[in-house]
Amino acid sequence: MKLSTSRETFLARLGIAVRGASTRSAIQALSGVLMRADADGLELQATDMELGIRVRTEASVEREGSVVLPGRLLLDVVRSMPEDQLSLEHRAAEQDVEVVSGPSRFHLRTLPSEDFPRLPEPGDAEPVRMPAGAFVETIGRVARSASRDETRPHLTGVLVSASGSRLRMVATDSYRLSVKETTLAEELSGEVEANVPARTLQELARVAAASAAEQIDIVALANQVVFRLGDVVLSSRLVEGRFPNYEQLLPDSFEHELRLRSNELLEVVRRVSLLAQKNAPLRLRFAEGELEVSAQTPDIGEARESLPVPFQGEEIEIGFNPEFFRDGLESTEGDELILKLISPLRPGLIQSGDDGGFTYLVMPIRLNV
Amino acid sequence: MSDWVRVVAHMDMDAFYVSVELARRPDLRGLPVVVAGTGPRAVVTTASYEARRFGVFSATPAERARRLCPQAVFLAPDFDLYRERSRDVMDVVREQVERVEQVGLDEAYLDLTDLGWPRATARTVKATVAARTGLTCSIGMGPSKLVAKVASDAEKPDGFVVLSREEARKRFAASPPGLVPGIGPRTAERLAARGIVTLGVLAAAPPDSLREWFGPRLGAHLSALARFEDERAVGGPRTAKSESRETTFPHDLSGLPALEPALERLCDDLCVRLERSGGRGRTVGIKVRLSDFSTLTRARTLSTATSERGVVGGVALDLLRELSPTAPVRLLGVRVAGLDIEGSSAPLGEPQLSLELGAGA
Repeated sequence: MKLSTSRETFLARLGIAVRGASTRSAIQALSGVLMRADADGLELQATDMELGIRVRTEASVEREGSVVLPGRLLLDVVRSMPEDQLSLEHRAAEQDVEVVSGPSRFHLRTLPSEDFPRLPEPGDAEPVRMPAGAFVETIGRVARSASRDETRPHLTGVLVSASGSRLRMVATDSYRLSVKETTLAEELSGEVEANVPARTLQELARVAAASAAEQIDIVALANQVVFRLGDVVLSSRLVEGRFPNYEQLLPDSFEHELRLRSNELLEVVRRVSLLAQKNAPLRLRFAEGELEVSAQTPDIGEARESLPVPFQGEEIEIGFNPEFFRDGLESTEGDELILKLISPLRPGLIQSGDDGGFTYLVMPIRLNV
Repeated sequence: MSDWVRVVAHMDMDAFYVSVELARRPDLRGLPVVVAGTGPRAVVTTASYEARRFGVFSATPAERARRLCPQAVFLAPDFDLYRERSRDVMDVVREQVERVEQVGLDEAYLDLTDLGWPRATARTVKATVAARTGLTCSIGMGPSKLVAKVASDAEKPDGFVVLSREEARKRFAASPPGLVPGIGPRTAERLAARGIVTLGVLAAAPPDSLREWFGPRLGAHLSALARFEDERAVGGPRTAKSESRETTFPHDLSGLPALEPALERLCDDLCVRLERSGGRGRTVGIKVRLSDFSTLTRARTLSTATSERGVVGGVALDLLRELSPTAPVRLLGVRVAGLDIEGSSAPLGEPQLSLELGAGA
């Protein structure tokens, strides 16, 4: 392999690819980036066996071939190069790659390329074409609710379902549940139903933010899913285990239904949450026409603030994890939201006021009154 | 064993880092292998038993190790891998024993008091660890953490030693006091200056004299240690309160333009780690050690817990810029403290209720 390329272009593409590389694998090659030079240019690949990223980049290829280099090191080296002109040459006898930029000359030892796994190919499967904006927006609404607890792997995914002109994503960590339904401008060419690791979707959103591509092509295979966004291909294993039957979690009816101004409530919650530390709950006390939000942390202090709300009936007080409650408020859109409650030990529900298709169910914290 | 107040086992992995490396590089088995950093100031983190014969031990400066044993294979540490293997090992332990106090990556105390067959349980742990991970450990058992710890060290590697307190006293009477954890090199030196060069002599030393020489607290503690008296209970799991990354530079760095990229990289590593563990902390701090070994720390506490690279990196950079060390910098570190681990964060006392996800979930 021998090629030359521009440092800026290469660096940007390498930065995307390296995020797929493993930081803690027993297999050395997984910490590497596979570079494959062919007649069309250069392809970069990295994978930690869960997530795989493939990126094409421009390069003038003098000699075709492929090689695996340590990903982070290569990134650091390329970033520090003095000039924009960059050349890389695989020297098989020395088992290294010579990286030259202006007066700088680096020799990086290659990693065993036979250990580098083949990334899944979408094959002939017909992709479902999805508008990137709507897809990424929907990810942003629900991904926070997915569990990060690796001991509960089946909850680390986002259930993605799409058919017709409807896209739906669901995530839950068992303390809260987010459901977002998005109506697409056009009918989809096919259907998707997959439990995708939240990390994969967040990575996809990151790639999309830096990409001009307007479409994401999705191919769901037996236990893999492949996303293509412009010249970036993200593949990922699917989450094993059945996604919880979330519909049965949504209560049929609620005792209270309040229409509230989103920003007003969010600001109060953000302020008062400052004093809900060390796992202290955020307390919401509803009384006739009034909501008092308070928090108290022993040895730190307390905070309370009231705001007018259209509450009627017997007073109730309910506690929430401040972060979970705030996540719900922040994920609604529009000026108004609807807050539904049953009782202090039953879940609360937050929805966007304008029927934006967003539902957030959050379990309370039991208060020791 | 039935008359012991407690039955404690201490499990200590044998040359842990090296053994993990050998598991992926079987071609190196039987050779002297040393896991050590690469810079001029690196020290040995673990040496294989073959390398120990050449006088290379943990904390030997890497340069010196290279001189002592030039034929050794030197490997750079891969802590992510060691952490992963450590999790595998501790998983095995926790399957067998309820009360486990993990110490570092490669050691744990097991409380076997209420188990019907403590010795068999300890054997099972040892065998299962070996079967599941291919790694050997040494286990010591005794009526206290102290006896268990010393026993685990007595017949390394692959040891299994059970001692009562009396047996421990007899067996180690001729050993130097420094054998017992809690008697460090300085105390050992001070003891030697008084002619106390074995545990037996220390145990027999008049408590009044020890108190006079070492003060009331340390004096009493020393005679208790020498008699292998130890009342400490096996603690439950200790959760990390902070996560940090630091690096000693191969050559001192001067000026912000040189330091900032180094700090950025530390923040990258730290946040990846936090993201993986689901940890978020409210306090971001930096540590700067200057060329004269003086150490400065600065920290800032945020309103909400974070693990976001942007926030952690931003605060850390601010702190570094405010500090703007004028002398050359030898070591730089960043830490996030006050962690709550998400997922396992069901608040104590005021329990977080869960959705009933039902069967199959």
